[in-house]
Amino acid sequence: MSYAAGDLIAPFIVESVSADAMKDWAVFLADPNPIHLDVAVVKAKGLGDRVINQGPVNVAYMMNMLLAAFPGATIEAMDSRFLDNVYGGEKAVASGRITAVDGDQLTCEFSLDIEGRGTVNSGTATIRLNLQQETR
Amino acid sequence: MSGTAEFPPAPDVAGTSLDGTRVFTVSVEENERLCRSVGVLPAADGTAHPIWYYVATQVAMGKTVAGVCETCEFDVEDGPMMGSSGVRFAAPIKLGEPYRVSGEILSLERKKSRKLGIMDVLTYRLRLHPASGGEAILETDNVWVLPRKELA
Repeated sequence: MSYAAGDLIAPFIVESVSADAMKDWAVFLADPNPIHLDVAVVKAKGLGDRVINQGPVNVAYMMNMLLAAFPGATIEAMDSRFLDNVYGGEKAVASGRITAVDGDQLTCEFSLDIEGRGTVNSGTATIRLNLQQETR
Repeated sequence: MSGTAEFPPAPDVAGTSLDGTRVFTVSVEENERLCRSVGVLPAADGTAHPIWYYVATQVAMGKTVAGVCETCEFDVEDGPMMGSSGVRFAAPIKLGEPYRVSGEILSLERKKSRKLGIMDVLTYRLRLHPASGGEAILETDNVWVLPRKELA
């Protein structure tokens, strides 16, 4: 497989952001912040009417896109900016494009977009390809 | 953003250690659960999902999020917000491998924004090392925004 700057990266789609997964992440992160668990708290704080996804979950969606697009590759560096919340039940789409190719190293830019609301995360990454796995 | 002359400076916390004291290990079962929660299968090569960079460093650093906020003289109940997160991997995180965390607060800068009013921008760096010693396998810089409602 060969790559070129400008190539689009196949999107990773989350049809419905899971409120149950937020409960798992409260355990992973040892962070019981109720805005991820209790709609009543979200409403009371004036932050919306659905539970709010933990930020690193959104980063994981974008990592999934990169790892699925480049089988066997490793992420060497990644920077993500948090622009807005992601709420339970929303459809999230991670997408991106290659910005440069240098041998087995790619740089990419990407975003996470919410259907009907726009971009909530954006970032860049450097990927090291696994050329052996790429040619299988 | 504008200048800082119209409000008091942010607490001087740069250099505060965030070195952890506990060992963090990603088990096969935890990794499966995490991967399932984000809609993918675990890797077959014994490496953990890379998002563990954030979880491992955050959980095993030397202070809780509330503790970091307290150091910055900020009440965690006032709602810290993630601004950005960056990571540089030297090696993947391996399942069953014990790690420890080192790190420090890099800066706390008070700013004024049109959207949030007066806020402190906290930047801290964490590294994940093999518990047995040696160079870090990854380094992450996280930026949090701490809205200073009391200064608005």
